[in-house]
Amino acid sequence: MDVFANLGLGFATVWKIVWWAPGFLQGAFAIPLPMNILLCFVGCLVGTLIGVLPGVGPIATIAMLLPITFGLDPVGALIMLAGIYYGAQYGGSTTAILVNIPGEATSVVTTLDGHQMAKQGRAGVALGTAALGSFFAGCVATVVIAALGAPLTKLALLFGPAEYFSLMVMGLCFAVVLARGSILKAFCMIMLGLLLSTVGTDLETGQERMTFGFAPLADGIDFAVLAMGVFGFAEVLRNLENPEARDVVRTKIGRLLPDWSDIKQSINPVLRGTTIGAILGILPGNGAVLGPFASYTVEKKIAKDPSRFGKGAIEGVAGPESANNAGAQTAFIPLLTLGIPPNAVMALMVGAMTIHGIIPGPQVMTKNPDLFWGLIVSMWIGNLMLLVINLPLIGLWVKLLQVPYRLMFPAILIFCCIGIYSVNNQPVDVAFTAMFGLFGYILIKLGFEPAPMLLGFVLGKLMEEKLRQALIISRGSFWTFVERPISAGLLLVAVAVLAIALLPSINKKRDEVFTE
Amino acid sequence: MSLNQIERAQGLRIRSSQDMAAGLFMILLAGLALVLSSDLPLGTLRQIGPGMLPKSFAVICAALGLMLCLASLRFNGEKLAGWSWRGVIFVLGGAILFGLTIRGFDLGPIKVPQLGLVVSGPLVVLVAGCAAEDVKWKELIIFAVVMTTFCALLFKYALSLPIPLAPWLLGI
Repeated sequence: MDVFANLGLGFATVWKIVWWAPGFLQGAFAIPLPMNILLCFVGCLVGTLIGVLPGVGPIATIAMLLPITFGLDPVGALIMLAGIYYGAQYGGSTTAILVNIPGEATSVVTTLDGHQMAKQGRAGVALGTAALGSFFAGCVATVVIAALGAPLTKLALLFGPAEYFSLMVMGLCFAVVLARGSILKAFCMIMLGLLLSTVGTDLETGQERMTFGFAPLADGIDFAVLAMGVFGFAEVLRNLENPEARDVVRTKIGRLLPDWSDIKQSINPVLRGTTIGAILGILPGNGAVLGPFASYTVEKKIAKDPSRFGKGAIEGVAGPESANNAGAQTAFIPLLTLGIPPNAVMALMVGAMTIHGIIPGPQVMTKNPDLFWGLIVSMWIGNLMLLVINLPLIGLWVKLLQVPYRLMFPAILIFCCIGIYSVNNQPVDVAFTAMFGLFGYILIKLGFEPAPMLLGFVLGKLMEEKLRQALIISRGSFWTFVERPISAGLLLVAVAVLAIALLPSINKKRDEVFTE
Repeated sequence: MSLNQIERAQGLRIRSSQDMAAGLFMILLAGLALVLSSDLPLGTLRQIGPGMLPKSFAVICAALGLMLCLASLRFNGEKLAGWSWRGVIFVLGGAILFGLTIRGFDLGPIKVPQLGLVVSGPLVVLVAGCAAEDVKWKELIIFAVVMTTFCALLFKYALSLPIPLAPWLLGI
């Protein structure tokens, strides 16, 4: 079986022992360390640490912690980043349950029943169920990625520029439809992201575009600068404005491990949630965000007594949390096999990979098999770590939740500043980031949701390149996108999705889903 | 939300100042992009020039902005909310001060030497800290020192990133 051989390679990479000779011992002796495991552990730990902070979502967490991976080799850095990602996800759920503040869209559902459970003194069980459900979902999703990785990579090699272009168009259409708030505004954000991506030197002609003749802009807008400005600084400004009503649970956390009756109640929701989340996560354009909503709706529909939901039903935590984690993980599939990030968090991963000199896409699997499979296995290890870290450390997270915001945001700022400075060792980047912070704040004030912009920004360069190639091959005929069957099919799906979303009846339903 | 009959009778007026402003903002950005990319050649479909995509994206942005403006006349929506200068000035100002002092700068008559993290770190924490309404100075000063020490240890020593600490004092 290929899959097992590949996973074996992954485990070998993750377990690789590095002889660490500390400088202060002057090479007297070296200590054998399973470096990658340690990195995964540290990643999960700091990811949770930052992700737990209310008002700091996974995007801001990853953007903020990016610089701590700079000194590492690419494999180690990616493993650590994956750890940070899961940690941030799980930290978000912890905040949702304990404080009733969702870090991002996907943990909104968890606040409904999770926080109610916490108020009833069952916070521990809610957290434990979330952790165990997520762990199970993570295991399944890892196998799904391992199984689908190779065939999808082969499929990707059949894709020409026209197909890639159409695929990205489809992804962006999905992102528009699945974004929170008005469709028109989400569309604006995608286009603005695409427009921003054209700033800088044109790859083919070498002409500078929209740079104001300003040298630091010649390489284009730095991804880290945009992300940290819009998600780090602007978020701080947004949070400062709304004096938070932090509703930290005062009751006891209670026991962590769910008892037998809890397990019996939550096992089926976990199974269903995992399936739903894993399938939706593969969709391009942020399908993962639908997972928890879909799972919650399903559980409520098939429950014998739907009125329990919203009042602390354990199924309402187990299902959505599993769906959330499964989706968070299968979202790596389009990124690793096709090189196309499905959502803003994955767009950030693309940025991180590029900083480490890896261009995500089908070639990663063939050129750096140790990186690809190491990353997949580390996902599983990361989930295990989360279980190990979170259950004993919940007390610490609760303490952390009580840190007042007036101390939290200066700490976030100094981290962001050092982080941005370290990307290129350019002080001017920090000033740029402050500018984008202002830009992001304006967008928030105007009711725009900036996440789709980040996706558009990352896909923009690739789209332009593929569009140019496709049109050169077709000698300037746009029909190439319709004549090629795969490309036509993808575009058809894109049009269908947009059309369905614009139908008034569905539009109403969509509003309900996002306001619930 | 769409309108009821009475509201419809009131004729055209701005029913969502937020959407109206958002639309105008999009049009403004698109206009800026069009001006900046005006001298870039469009090229042909067979050989797309550097100006093709920026210009097309800008036109689409402007069209979307126009749609937002029109929608703000037709549908009720949110009002433009107030704007907090305090946060903008102190938070973003703190960050800019960090950028200016970490390696020093030289802008004509104003010269700042390379001050390093030992100065920039507390500076950003203290200035940004003013943005909070419940600022407590003693607490903030202690916190600034602790955070700077922590960041210096973490980034300079544990992660060995090349950040100047205090070249004027310690030579590193």
